Amino acid sequence: MATVETPAPRLVPFGRVGNGVVAALGVLVLWGLAAWIYQLTQGLIATGMRDVVSWGLYIFSFAFFVGLSAGGLIMASAAEVFGVKSLRPLSRLGVLTAAACVLVAAMTIIPDLGKPQRVWELFRYPNWSSPLVWDIIIIIVYFVFAVTDLTIMSRRTMAPSKRAKVLRVMAYAGLPTAVLLHSITAWIFGLQISRPWWNTALMAPLFVTSAILSGTALIAVAAVAAQRFDRIRLPEETWRALAILMATAVAIDLFLVACDYITILWGNVPRERAALDIILPGGSWQALFWLEWVVGGVVPFLLLVVPRYRKRVGLFTLASVLTMVGVYAFRIELVVGGMLRPLVHLAPGNALGSYRLGRTVFQFDGIYHPTWVEYAIVTALFAFLALLILIGYRWLRPVDREQQA
Amino acid sequence: MAATETAKKWGMVIDQNRCVGCWTCAVGCKEINNEPLGFWWNRVLTAAPADTTGESSPPDAANPASDSIDVPQGTFPNVEMAYLPVACQMCDDAPCVKVCPVGATFRRDDGTVLVDYERCIGCRYCMAACPYGIRVFNWGDRQQPVDFTIGYGQDYRTDGRLVFTPDRPRGVVEKCTWCVERIDVGEQPFCVEVCPTGARVFGDLDDKNSEVAQLVDAGGATQLLPDLGTDPRVFYLPVDSERSV
Repeated sequence: MATVETPAPRLVPFGRVGNGVVAALGVLVLWGLAAWIYQLTQGLIATGMRDVVSWGLYIFSFAFFVGLSAGGLIMASAAEVFGVKSLRPLSRLGVLTAAACVLVAAMTIIPDLGKPQRVWELFRYPNWSSPLVWDIIIIIVYFVFAVTDLTIMSRRTMAPSKRAKVLRVMAYAGLPTAVLLHSITAWIFGLQISRPWWNTALMAPLFVTSAILSGTALIAVAAVAAQRFDRIRLPEETWRALAILMATAVAIDLFLVACDYITILWGNVPRERAALDIILPGGSWQALFWLEWVVGGVVPFLLLVVPRYRKRVGLFTLASVLTMVGVYAFRIELVVGGMLRPLVHLAPGNALGSYRLGRTVFQFDGIYHPTWVEYAIVTALFAFLALLILIGYRWLRPVDREQQA
Repeated sequence: MAATETAKKWGMVIDQNRCVGCWTCAVGCKEINNEPLGFWWNRVLTAAPADTTGESSPPDAANPASDSIDVPQGTFPNVEMAYLPVACQMCDDAPCVKVCPVGATFRRDDGTVLVDYERCIGCRYCMAACPYGIRVFNWGDRQQPVDFTIGYGQDYRTDGRLVFTPDRPRGVVEKCTWCVERIDVGEQPFCVEVCPTGARVFGDLDDKNSEVAQLVDAGGATQLLPDLGTDPRVFYLPVDSERSV
């Protein structure tokens, strides 16, 4: 592969359709920015979060974005560490999405803060026992790592043999970094004894697996788009490798979730059952169960393992998107299973922290409906992520040209 | 606290045999601490009486008596009920202190867990970490029931850190302080002082002659969710347990 001609970074014009997409995404970003400014003037009262469900859309989207970033190092390390050569054409695209996703993940924390102007205190007064501090450090490390990796990959002046050597070292170093990133993000939740739904040693393996799943799916969707709009032709074995990777990750992910369920169901500890029953069929949030197990689980798994389906671009893309939907449902479950039912669950419940005349200030079971402000801000973050990847793609042209038909 | 002063080991005992569920402690707490509308640092929960034979007492919080206050558990005539006043449990191994990314929630040598209003970044990780659900967040601008100052009504600092202010900043977490401004000058927390049945006892657990230490040492006192190992400094005397002093 040393002969591959890497194009010099240069922003290639988007064309008419591309410009339209960029403009639309830009509008969404501006709308989200306006929503955030509105939230800053009102405080977090503008959100649907209150004292019982005190984390919501921002936090689970944060966890989702962190997971999406996994694709990068998998593509890079698959070729270098595990010898899956067929994924090599996607390694630069992967690292590009990794850098973009982890940057957006870090940004997602900001609108969740009650005092965003004090965010610098995280560096001035870090409390080393807090998993949040570990996470901020690993996010920064991972972002710097991904940007460095991308820079080396895009450098034309470096001798090909030297570059290959450096990239190999980077791939080996990147793998544990990525595993740490997802594990630490999982430990933000998994270490909390106050939330039976979160407090499982499975949380880190679940986060790593679902990150591999959603990260690969993001690359797959990006690769389909590149093939459709950029006249790139990726070899058949690359698509096959992507499909196998996603199908395996879906299977392991559902296996881990099933392990969790069987432990809770058989043990029948009331406080753990109470959380699980919200999500299982018949519970108030059972939609999440179906999204995770069927829409984002069994259906994409079948689409990916049956060669006849996998080879149809439409179904392959659908399967990739569905796995991301399933992973997002798992992230929503974190908040629902973790917070809807407080551990001390006695009447009249917790105070809400807000007051409206004629309404009770107590809440026995948690209620959470995100407001338009939260939807606007999170939509803007998704739009910004798409913009970053689009612009990065046009600038770096990360899929090797030799693959062109 | 002055460094020269030997730190007390503050503790509180709540006798469920005496609690009549009148909410005076909760309302008194709201008043003295200038709590905005919609805030309750201290609540009197309706529970089932503790199982004094098992380790799971006081009342199993995972199995509520009812979803309404003052409604007993069971089927008539076999009904039972107890009140469980819950504010900050002042854990020795406090999850909120461990998770706070900036050390805004901290624990003094005397065991009081406090929040620095000037440090808190409003990430609400402590609210996710607290097993007892006692923390409240300033989601918006504070709303006060009256437009004049009641209660303590002034700033209070310990080691230079702002741990109480009547002018709640938007976007920070707050909680019960055991009336730090009162205990630092030798007074009792307000909930203890106003309880009409004397169900609450506050004092130094290290002083073997104090009532609070004797009640805890006599046995029968339990903590809330003891299996979590947070080791609260608030102890409950479950219904029917013998009060030995």
